[in-house]
Amino acid sequence: MIFFGLTLVLFASLYAFMQDGMAEKTTQPQAQNLHRQVSVDSTKCIASKEFMRANHMRVLNEWRNSSVREGNRIFVAPNGSKLEKSLNTCLGCHKNNKLFCFNCHMYANVKPKCWNCHISAMETP
Amino acid sequence: MMNEERRAFIKKSGLGVLACMGAASGLIPKFSLEKTVLPAWDEKQVPGKIRWGMLIDTRKCIEGCKECVAQCHHVHNVPDFNNRKDEVKWIWKSSYNKVFPTASQQFQSEKIAGRSYLALCNHCADSPCTRVCPTEATFKRWDGIVAMDYHRCIGCRFCMAACPYGSRSFNWQDPRTAIKDPSLAYPTREQGVVEKCNFCSDRLVKGLLPACVEACPQQVMTFGDLNDPKSEIRGLLENNETMQRKPELGTKPSVFYII
Repeated sequence: MIFFGLTLVLFASLYAFMQDGMAEKTTQPQAQNLHRQVSVDSTKCIASKEFMRANHMRVLNEWRNSSVREGNRIFVAPNGSKLEKSLNTCLGCHKNNKLFCFNCHMYANVKPKCWNCHISAMETP
Repeated sequence: MMNEERRAFIKKSGLGVLACMGAASGLIPKFSLEKTVLPAWDEKQVPGKIRWGMLIDTRKCIEGCKECVAQCHHVHNVPDFNNRKDEVKWIWKSSYNKVFPTASQQFQSEKIAGRSYLALCNHCADSPCTRVCPTEATFKRWDGIVAMDYHRCIGCRFCMAACPYGSRSFNWQDPRTAIKDPSLAYPTREQGVVEKCNFCSDRLVKGLLPACVEACPQQVMTFGDLNDPKSEIRGLLENNETMQRKPELGTKPSVFYII
């Protein structure tokens, strides 16, 4: 009798959360198929200009490590949009200005090695 | 006395309820009281679940055809220095005695010994190259692919010494000068790094088959998951006599051949 009561209480207390969980489940895409569904969406920036100015190198390092070594290629931006962790995602937009990276790095005398291998906007027609 | 037992029982049942809730939220995500979305967990790959492999039916391979080589080397910006010393190759064709040096050679039929065979990185399950790499620049991925992280490669070439299949090439010169028709979607390498076949992990992530498999006019190559007993490649392995390159070394290659 006491166990029956306990399970009833347990079920009653969790019922609301179960509904909540089920409702959200349907809107979430399956993690397994995620990499097939996500396309490179380069139409918007992943974070504010101020943040990226100060932290783009950290973002790129983190993208590099998690995508190359852990295979986690999907970046979820703070606004919920999903992007592929790739320099091509950045270049999709920023190659409009061929000097986008170089101007600043030249001014700051910073010599990152990205373009030793990755093909920059300067080298594309 | 009675009271104390009652008190202990209530305590324990309370703990039990808490434990049940904890377990339920862990096992069934929709039971969790607070929705936990951890993208890093969500999308983290399970190591060892998939093992990509390839079966090469050499009977169908056309002598002299190099479509797969050309396509692979174009897609991945592999340089061509036109010079054996600086040669960089991801996939290539070689003679029977070079591809299978430890297989039976004596009185081998002219038909078999005279053909050329496709060779590429075997993506060994027990890969010697990843063991010797001092920087873990080459490593075993969750899906069985032996990957290169060119960011980390220091060019020590230990992996080239360790690889028994000659699947790795060193960039003695700047490869950019020797790429005629670069594909812009894939990076090049730089001078001083080792490179090799990546089993088209760049294409797999987009749901595409490897470039060589797709380029072959004869469908010589079958690509699939060796860990999935229902996959096409496992079916072919089941129904054909197949061999691996230098199996006696115990590297467990993931590339199989039908001779």
